[in-house]
Amino acid sequence: MPAPTVEEIFARIAGVLGVPESKVGPDVALSDLVMDSYRLVEMAIDLQDDYDVIFSQADLASVTTVGDLADLVRSRA
Amino acid sequence: MPPSEGPPSEGPPSEGPPSEGLLSDDEHWVLSYYRTSEINGSLFFGRLARTLKPSPIQHDLTKHFADEAQHAWYWTDCLERLGTRPIKLSDAYQDQYLEAAGLPANLMEIMAITLVFERRVINQYAKHLAVPDLRVEVKKTIERIMRDERWHVQWVRDALAGMGDKYGKDNIAATLRRFKEADREVYAQTLAEHEARLGFLLDSRPNPQED
Repeated sequence: MPAPTVEEIFARIAGVLGVPESKVGPDVALSDLVMDSYRLVEMAIDLQDDYDVIFSQADLASVTTVGDLADLVRSRA
Repeated sequence: MPPSEGPPSEGPPSEGPPSEGLLSDDEHWVLSYYRTSEINGSLFFGRLARTLKPSPIQHDLTKHFADEAQHAWYWTDCLERLGTRPIKLSDAYQDQYLEAAGLPANLMEIMAITLVFERRVINQYAKHLAVPDLRVEVKKTIERIMRDERWHVQWVRDALAGMGDKYGKDNIAATLRRFKEADREVYAQTLAEHEARLGFLLDSRPNPQED
């Protein structure tokens, strides 16, 4: 299966978080989109389940923006 | 505004006459804390169940979510049978896990932290059952919940056992050790913070199922 595009991942993130896709861009800080830790976990699990990838705590610790997260998914897919 | 009559209670039936006398402030707080923890667990598992693709884990996680919601109702009903209402609390026991152990990063880590947490829940409820002169409503509620909790431990343990190939058995074992350590830390903190309220539980017999 080809790696998902950045746009597909952004759309997925917007869907899980229930925010307009226009608010999800590469430089947007995750902390501005996700207000509590549980939602962050939910989003991480959703992406891993959807794209059949695995994240570690170290992976997530290095992620600060939506673009970082999309890059992480693409690098593992 | 009084609560609606609603459907008949499906909580655990009381056997014998209801307990007499008001709950102590400490008991009231502890039962409300259990309720809040069940609600928070339910909300978390419900969100996760929504995100997963069809699989045995999706199936069992959905049942787990429903059980936790039901347990929150049992505590609500129990408190009302005892002549009071749940205290509005915001924090729950499991919230402190994230601070102590970091965010679970993947499904295996969620299963690991859930296994550790469910064992703690069983241990805690067993301690509560050992309190002398326990009210019949509380006893029946805990016994009913404990039946589900044992299944929770079983399904999560089975799910983890099936993740060895994908996540690595050594990695799973290390993750369980990390979360057990965090659990011990959080439990000790909780006891220290709420020592006065939990005193009636601390005085009950020690439970050998500590780990």
